[in-house]
Amino acid sequence: MVALRLPANSRIKQGQTYKASAHAKRVRKFHIYRWNPDDGANPRTDTYELDLDACGPMVLDALIKIKNEVDSTLTFRRSCREGICGSCAMSIDGVNTLACLKPIGDVRGAVRITPLPHMAVVKDLVPDLSQAFAQYRSIEPWLKADTPPPPNGERLQSREERAQIDGLWECILCFCCTAGCPSYWWNGDRFLGPAILLQAHRWIVESRDEATGERLEALHDPFKLYRCHTIMNCTNTCPKGLNPAKAIGAIKRLIVERQV
Amino acid sequence: MTDKPDRPAVTPHVAVLASPLKRARGLGSARSGSGAWWAERLTSVALVPLTLWFIASIISLEGTSRAGVIAWLQAPVPLVLMLCMIVATFWHMEQGLRVVIDDYLRNDVMRMTMLLLNRGVCAIAGLLCVVSVLRLGL
Repeated sequence: MVALRLPANSRIKQGQTYKASAHAKRVRKFHIYRWNPDDGANPRTDTYELDLDACGPMVLDALIKIKNEVDSTLTFRRSCREGICGSCAMSIDGVNTLACLKPIGDVRGAVRITPLPHMAVVKDLVPDLSQAFAQYRSIEPWLKADTPPPPNGERLQSREERAQIDGLWECILCFCCTAGCPSYWWNGDRFLGPAILLQAHRWIVESRDEATGERLEALHDPFKLYRCHTIMNCTNTCPKGLNPAKAIGAIKRLIVERQV
Repeated sequence: MTDKPDRPAVTPHVAVLASPLKRARGLGSARSGSGAWWAERLTSVALVPLTLWFIASIISLEGTSRAGVIAWLQAPVPLVLMLCMIVATFWHMEQGLRVVIDDYLRNDVMRMTMLLLNRGVCAIAGLLCVVSVLRLGL
């Protein structure tokens, strides 16, 4: 009924240690979660000692240096290295954030790097995001309008109307927030999670969209929306500084407003 | 070396092959949930003054005889406020426990059982209190 320990094949073992060269002055340890689906072994924590004087400032720089020079089997997603693609989302020092935006200097002591919490792991630091993206698809994140567009194709929007989606359009779908939500941990199959609810709100307040009622009805569900108990981990952890908790609060308010 | 080197020795059986989108959509939206959400906030807000009034009343009734308490309860205002407090308390308790059950119980049989027990026990306990107060107050 209650499992107090991880299943035997999931318990994280001590892995290898890769030492830095002898003349390295500023050495930092990186404890990184490793797991290979092909070798049947338990997950392990490998320790890499890096010379920070020969490494860029961000955690992603350290990961790339490790992959290039120390252990090329280390697997992780990364692309833009500037905090806009959302690929390198992982748990660094216990906080979900983008590795490319997290300075190594912000972490005191050894840097612990694990994949996003409570997500199925494909390999090492790569989470399986197929459920999260399916949930994104399920909210129909595109313009739905019965009114045909004007002859020149431009649906106009005032500055005030455009300002409504500020704080919502900037989401890069890195899923740091969703992976940090305890309600998503326990009910991720039915609860949409903060990232998707933020995007749902983005379409609800979109002035050019005409399916607002439908969108609100689709969210009006004890699990899809109301598993949110304002835990606020989402807003706390967003590496882009967005506020999913506020967006979720706005959705709840709009749903009740319809009934008053 | 087997004759099928690309196949693992034991082929895993996958019970769920439905697409992620099918699983994300689930059974669709229940189109309910805002009632419970609003009621939670309503009972929370109502309970602040009601509980403070209840505590203040109990303190002010200290030392009063049984007959004195019954006489106090027979006045309309204390009786009605007492009934409101009892209903709000048990409703609030039922809602809070329901959220805990919904969050943490995944097994459907267990979840349904606990939800029914929750409602049943809160309703019966609430009714016991209401009936007791009415017996004294009316």
